[in-house]
Amino acid sequence: MACILVVDDEPEVGEAIRRVLERAGFSVAVANSADLGLLALEKDQPDIIVTDVIMPKVHGLELIKAVRERYPRVRVIAISGGGSFGLLSYKPDAISTHAYLAAAREAGAEEILTKPFDMGDLLAAVRRQLPN
Amino acid sequence: MERLINSLRARLMSVVLVINAALVPLLYLGVSAIVEEGYAEQFVNPVRSYSRLVADELESADEADFERRAGALLDSVVLTGQVVFAQIDDGQRKLRSSLSTVPSAAARHDDFSFGSQADQVYYISHPVKRASRPVVLRLGFDESLTLERIAAAKRRVLAALLAFTSASIAVAIWLSAVIARPMVRLQEAAKRVAGGDFHAQLQMRSSIREVQELNHHLERMRQELVGTNDRLESEMRERGVSEQKRLDLERRLLHRERIATIGTLAGGVAHEFNNIMTPILLYSQVALADTPADSALAKDLTRIVVAAHRARNLVTRILTFSREMDLPPATVFSLRPTVEEALTLLRAIVPANIEIAFHPGGEGLPVLGDPSLIHQVVINLCTNGYQAMRRSGGRLAVSLCVVENPAESQIDPGRYTMLEVSDTGHGVDAAVIAHIFEPFFTTRDVGDGTGLGLSVVHGIVTSMGGLITVESVVGRGTAFRVYLPAAAPPAGALEEGAGATN
Repeated sequence: MACILVVDDEPEVGEAIRRVLERAGFSVAVANSADLGLLALEKDQPDIIVTDVIMPKVHGLELIKAVRERYPRVRVIAISGGGSFGLLSYKPDAISTHAYLAAAREAGAEEILTKPFDMGDLLAAVRRQLPN
Repeated sequence: MERLINSLRARLMSVVLVINAALVPLLYLGVSAIVEEGYAEQFVNPVRSYSRLVADELESADEADFERRAGALLDSVVLTGQVVFAQIDDGQRKLRSSLSTVPSAAARHDDFSFGSQADQVYYISHPVKRASRPVVLRLGFDESLTLERIAAAKRRVLAALLAFTSASIAVAIWLSAVIARPMVRLQEAAKRVAGGDFHAQLQMRSSIREVQELNHHLERMRQELVGTNDRLESEMRERGVSEQKRLDLERRLLHRERIATIGTLAGGVAHEFNNIMTPILLYSQVALADTPADSALAKDLTRIVVAAHRARNLVTRILTFSREMDLPPATVFSLRPTVEEALTLLRAIVPANIEIAFHPGGEGLPVLGDPSLIHQVVINLCTNGYQAMRRSGGRLAVSLCVVENPAESQIDPGRYTMLEVSDTGHGVDAAVIAHIFEPFFTTRDVGDGTGLGLSVVHGIVTSMGGLITVESVVGRGTAFRVYLPAAAPPAGALEEGAGATN
């Protein structure tokens, strides 16, 4: 059975995702910060990590980069519900949800999801990334 | 003004009168003296010659016949008419012409002056040499004719002098008019200038050089004044215009700041909101999946899911306003097809009492951005327009045209495509216009629209480096104008688009 690690600084979000994934039959671990996420990665050896991008202290993007370096086999699904409040523009460095998720993809995330997402979308993303 | 005329004229007149008063009597006295002298000479000289002639005659008379001869001569002398008295005095007795009209008592010996006696007779004595003993011939000549001539001559002189006086007074009157009139007109013009009418020209036609020069100098002063005045006025106007511009900019800046503040707030709320919505959506979907499809609970849960989806869409729209949404990649595209596509959609939903007219002024310039956003702009503006006419019906006009250097002060000069959406609806007042692009601002009834449409349009237009303006007359309608900058050449397109936004 595949093991999934969920990292989000909002416990309610983490728990909701755990509920969806456990119901679908996955083994789920939840961490409420990037630091704890890194520890859990070592301990639980998940196949997939679902992580928020904007988190205090250690940023989700750094977590994704660390996963890519240390655990190349682990698939990453990045989720975000809004970033800092930069101006909307077509400048390449504009910061928006879209930009963060694009950055997450660039950092190595296989899937990106915008909060709030549907249960179906989350499960579809996870299933796409399951090891055969 | 009257005072000037009076004083100028009075001064000239008094000068003329004084000169006349001083000169005329002098002239009269002088000329009279000359006339009198001349006439006297004319009278006295022949009289003397005549008496000498008579004396000679007496001298040559016979001694014996003297008495008779003398008497006859004296009579004949008196008969000539001019002599009124003739007598011969030999010391003892006096022989007198019987025809003398003047009594001999009145005749005096020393009467040689002319016109000095009241009897108007000029007496002349002449010694007559005779062998026996000398006698004195005395003749009296009538002066009255000559005196009359003198009086007539004096009258003529007086008349001439009076004529001269009246002529000089007339000349003085004319001269004072000639001098005073242009001065008075100058004064009137100067008064108008002083009263603030700086364009009253000082143009006096005068043959007097000094008046002309005065006019010339005053006119130069006036022109100087007009120039200074015009400069001051234009400076004040410019100052007013720049002040107006400054106020306008200040107002715009304040407006932008307020919108930016609201946007930041909305963005922050949206972020939190998305986190809260995630468990709501996921738990309700899990619960729905675990519930028999036809149960009442499933229906309830479905409603929660639908509501959650609506909330998610709302947040997306707020984020559009707060410039926080996911931007599709920018492309260079032409407005016309996008606008036409949006209008096709609108025609399907707009009631029949509203006419939609599209005036594409050519293809317009290509713009940089995302066509779906322009689609949204057209839909939102048109929706706003037809809702203003929903009850009354009317005309919704959409037009596209190219504008060079728009008159709007808030955007840089350059080439813009202008999209105008105007309606003939109820219009809105200035108080509404001040807040019209703010999120959640709506004049509609509660539950009828979110009040986000125009703020979203504002966000989209601003993100493309454009400008949206609104003009409205209550009862007549509203017109929105969207100015979108022409896309720069493809190489620098991205930077250019961004530059206009900053």
